[in-house]
Amino acid sequence: MSRGAVIAGVGHSEFGRLPGLTPWQLETTAARAAVADAGLEPGDVDGLLTDPGPAQGILDGITPHFLRLGAQLGLDPDYAGSEILGGAGSVGIVGRAVLAVEAGLCSACLCVYGDSPLSQPAAFGYGRGDDAVFGFFGAVGMHALAARRHAHNYGTRPEQLGEVVLAARAHAALTPHALKRELLSMDDYLASKPVAEPLRALDCCMVSDGAAAVLVLSAERAARLERSTVRVLSQAQAHSLQTMGNGTHFDQLPAARSAPRLFERAGLEPSDVDLALLYDCFSIVLLMQLEDYGFCARGEAGSFVENGGIAPGGRLPVNTSGGLLAECYGGGMMHVIEAVRQLRGEAGERQVADASVALVSGHGLGMNTHTGLLLGADR
Amino acid sequence: MEEKAATKTAHPAPADDQLTASFWEACQHGSLMMTHCRDCGHYFLPPGPCCPRCWSSYIDQHAASGRGQVVTYTVYRHGYHPAIPPPYVVAVIELDEGPRMVSNVTGLDSDAVRTGMRVQLVFEQAGDRKIPRFEPTSGGTTGTSEASTGKKT
Repeated sequence: MSRGAVIAGVGHSEFGRLPGLTPWQLETTAARAAVADAGLEPGDVDGLLTDPGPAQGILDGITPHFLRLGAQLGLDPDYAGSEILGGAGSVGIVGRAVLAVEAGLCSACLCVYGDSPLSQPAAFGYGRGDDAVFGFFGAVGMHALAARRHAHNYGTRPEQLGEVVLAARAHAALTPHALKRELLSMDDYLASKPVAEPLRALDCCMVSDGAAAVLVLSAERAARLERSTVRVLSQAQAHSLQTMGNGTHFDQLPAARSAPRLFERAGLEPSDVDLALLYDCFSIVLLMQLEDYGFCARGEAGSFVENGGIAPGGRLPVNTSGGLLAECYGGGMMHVIEAVRQLRGEAGERQVADASVALVSGHGLGMNTHTGLLLGADR
Repeated sequence: MEEKAATKTAHPAPADDQLTASFWEACQHGSLMMTHCRDCGHYFLPPGPCCPRCWSSYIDQHAASGRGQVVTYTVYRHGYHPAIPPPYVVAVIELDEGPRMVSNVTGLDSDAVRTGMRVQLVFEQAGDRKIPRFEPTSGGTTGTSEASTGKKT
């Protein structure tokens, strides 16, 4: 345990449409906040990992993102890199930082997500490769194919997707910094414009400018801090890189393979989880993960979320700050930050009572990548 | 400026990609070509330098029968490109030889598409391109039988 790693600090910029601010301003703001939150100084940081969001990842594909950010932060670290795993990247770099700290490669690794897709909109619209020939545009199309498949296999109804969106808003209503805090009715949801059936506009997450950062610290250094920290209990990844070549690609996420390993490595069961922060770029992905992580049987996620099952006070509170659907688009790093705040007992009005174990997941690209972490309160 | 505007409204072209150039060239001649592994018999799409199942590079190209079924689909109600107005159907088609591909289902009302529907390849002209799309098999079943999730060879 002496070589263990903990999360010692979290911080983020404001989120929203921020045309006056560059990604670099947002990311350095988040970095400063995370290091200060841990009670450390910039000179204490000896590792840097970054998750450039979709717009930056494309724009700056040649110059590595960590190089540009590290220069601005004045870092000459012992360990550095950027990862492009889509929405799985933020959870992925936190997991990688834990490995690096546990291996002794560095002792204070800063993990930074940031992007300005609203201020650089040209970089954000995409149809990958030949997909554009068929009008297969946007991540919404890929997820609509999965949603249709879920409805076909299990009879999942639009109202059950709607429950996910309503719950996100109910959590956001208790979260001062969330961007979409107005409660929704099921009628509001059903009246939402169809985009790629069966998905409606309200099934799609928002797009935001902003940045978020997490400081992973060695347990040895953390012992000298006054601040309470959060333990990293286990991590697991699984990826489905074949897309169409994988016969189950639309029936389950790669999480179906990583989830059992994640729980086994921590010696825990799904029933031990007090709250889950599940990547929710589209409502359907949250439903699929409830099944993949074993919170309910396959095909039963629709009924699991009914009657406020994942809402505040539900049997499993999910995305307690509103997630990508209602808090902001924080790349997945805001999911990590919310887990840390809950496990430190600092979540205010939305605090989950006695929260001691949190699941955090990331999911990305064409439903190709998946990363997961189990985090535990330090008590 | 005029040229730029025309580019924006022209039907999207296939990506300029060494891996898939031969596939699109064959489409221009009215064939949907699958890559075939001469060692293990696996058929796959998109084309690649080796068999994704056994990693053999002993491969050749076979024309698909063009018969298949709808694994899943979505009806786009929102338009993303001026040359592709909604509503239109994007579907995952599983060819009878095994490979899956993204395409469109045409020749029927968008709301009539079903998972498991039997379909047949058609080439449709879009600008100077022939696009492989699928329409319901004439006289075939249009039921909702379970699309296969297993692998065929």
